[in-house]
Amino acid sequence: MSDSGARGWRPTDTESVVRGVARGLTDALNHEMREDLTEDQVERLKERLAGSLAADASAGVRRVHHAFLDQERRHAKSLERRKRREGADGTVERLSLHLRVQHMVLFASTIILIVTGLPIKFHDASVSVFLINLMGGPEVTRIIHRIGAVGLTCVGAYHLFYSMAFEAGRRDFGLLIPRPQDIKDFFHQMGYFLGIRREKPLFGRFSYIEKFDYWAVYWGMVVMITSGYLLWFKVLAINQFGKSIYDIAVEAHSDEALLATLAIIIWHFYNVHFNPKRFPGSLTWWNGRMRVEDFKEEHALEYEEMLRSGGLEHGGQEAGVRAGVSAEARRESP
Amino acid sequence: MKTGRTRGLIRRPPGRALTLCLVLLAAFLGAMAARAQDDLRCLGCHGKPGFRKTLPSGQVLDLFVDPTPLRLSVHKDLSCVQCHADVNEVPHTTMPQRVNCKRCHYEGNTMGAPQTSKYLEFDKSVHNLALLAGNTKAPLCQDCHGGHFILSGSDPRSRVSRRHVSQTCGTCHIQIYGQYMESVHGKALTMGNKDAPVCTDCHGEHDIQGPKVASSSVNPANVANTCARCHSKIVIMKKYGINAEQVSTYKNSFHGIANEFGVLKAANCASCHTAHNILPPDDPRSSVNPKNIPKTCGRCHPGANANFAKGRIHVDPEDRSAGIVYWVALGFKILTLSTLAGLFIHIGLDLFRQVRARKSREAVLPARPTEENEP
Repeated sequence: MSDSGARGWRPTDTESVVRGVARGLTDALNHEMREDLTEDQVERLKERLAGSLAADASAGVRRVHHAFLDQERRHAKSLERRKRREGADGTVERLSLHLRVQHMVLFASTIILIVTGLPIKFHDASVSVFLINLMGGPEVTRIIHRIGAVGLTCVGAYHLFYSMAFEAGRRDFGLLIPRPQDIKDFFHQMGYFLGIRREKPLFGRFSYIEKFDYWAVYWGMVVMITSGYLLWFKVLAINQFGKSIYDIAVEAHSDEALLATLAIIIWHFYNVHFNPKRFPGSLTWWNGRMRVEDFKEEHALEYEEMLRSGGLEHGGQEAGVRAGVSAEARRESP
Repeated sequence: MKTGRTRGLIRRPPGRALTLCLVLLAAFLGAMAARAQDDLRCLGCHGKPGFRKTLPSGQVLDLFVDPTPLRLSVHKDLSCVQCHADVNEVPHTTMPQRVNCKRCHYEGNTMGAPQTSKYLEFDKSVHNLALLAGNTKAPLCQDCHGGHFILSGSDPRSRVSRRHVSQTCGTCHIQIYGQYMESVHGKALTMGNKDAPVCTDCHGEHDIQGPKVASSSVNPANVANTCARCHSKIVIMKKYGINAEQVSTYKNSFHGIANEFGVLKAANCASCHTAHNILPPDDPRSSVNPKNIPKTCGRCHPGANANFAKGRIHVDPEDRSAGIVYWVALGFKILTLSTLAGLFIHIGLDLFRQVRARKSREAVLPARPTEENEP
């Protein structure tokens, strides 16, 4: 690396060095000077020229120097990230810390909302009364529910910001947009399940299953947050939008709550807990890591992409080779 | 033997039976005479119209008693002193106390009073509590059931009959009686409607309790169930074109659920419809008339505007008349069922494939148990 060279460079010296060089340069400009200048004036002009050249040059050097250092630092960081992504223990990073924290806030808020909300929907069940009283009675649970609501809103808003402002967020969002390939993958998968097709479909970073999960949550958040705030600020909502909007919000909030809860318990829990491949549960949500074999199997296309871009050595065992990957290849991979 | 005894009874001269009859008759007549004599002694003074006494406070007590109502009442066979038991000399040396009905009215009595301990319910009633607290205006049995003209509650002439009981309560609760008689319930009663609720239908009879008592039928926690006794009965409600789902829609609303979970400040039926002033929504005086709804809702939700009156309050998402809410509910029902069906099928197929893969692997490599799932 050129780091050591960069460290030996002292930009503060630039001006005096350049000044010397520029002084020599001005001598070559003698014939450009006007004849009516005295010897003394010529001397002073040369001095000034040399000074001006030196200032410009040193500013330029400093700028290029800083830009270079910046680039090198970013480089080192991305290498570091890469290194973390592919651990020596045969795992790869599937979820960044950023995403893991978003997921934790999301599920913590959702659990709070479900345990304080569903007893209201199923108020006839005796377990509902028990649960509500266990949590301190209805006047307390409505506060807890609203704390969960604020948590959910914040993580939702932050996720929108993340999907726009962060490169990783933009990239993932782009990859989550449904494509015709997802429909093909779905039918391929069905064929595989039924034994019509021999091979599994190959998935990229997000399979149609994960895309469904993501967009189900997206839809659920939009419905629940919108209707939830209409219920929270009911007088304002009815005064502004009319009672029928409020009635729709009541119904939608209640129905979508059940749909979301069932989808999480049945679908999401199957995919990350009860699937025999995962049981008793994947730890990806906690450490963000995934075994390379699983990664190869479930995200084959992303794996290939990483191989091609050099982000991952075959099998993920030889960590040292990564450093040799050319910068161009690294920059090509998103 | 059996027939002989029967024959013997028939053949026996009627002397002994006749004697028995005569003795009974004599006793009865004697009792009548004694009662008549007792009552005559009382009526000697109390039977004179205009018999009155002026108390030292200046209050005039009308002491005239018309014996006719008593003779027409369920107590027609009783003499004065059987109830006014503390009267034993004329003129009275002490002021006769109010009659204590419990002398006869208890379960297991031999005086011929109904065998019931219903009166015991009176002990925990708001009226008795007032009495114990020293309120001299608090009612005793006779204040509602009447003094001399006591009739069975099922007798339409009775003060406690469905037709008259509200009026009876109204003798003390005048203002509420006025409100009630103006309400849809009171109007129906006046029209002779037998379904119309009277005071005791909501408040109870002997065990009337104040609304703050948890077990009271008009406690905020119990109001909906009290109204539901009629308002959830399709048979009754159909007659008047009232939706019998009003109670269940309330119970499924946030108001009803909060109430059920013990938040008594949450609205119950009476919070919006009032307790005694209940009027149909098309009546401009009604608290649930569209014009008055912002004010009614505003009592708990300050700032409520005219939008609160637009559309139904009791929305039943299961019913088509709920309009768009019905369609939203139906849409979600279809969405939920189809999503779940799809997810279950997907999971089922996935498991099916995994089991098959495991079996085929075992067939190829039966000796090597492995956790790998790749086929």
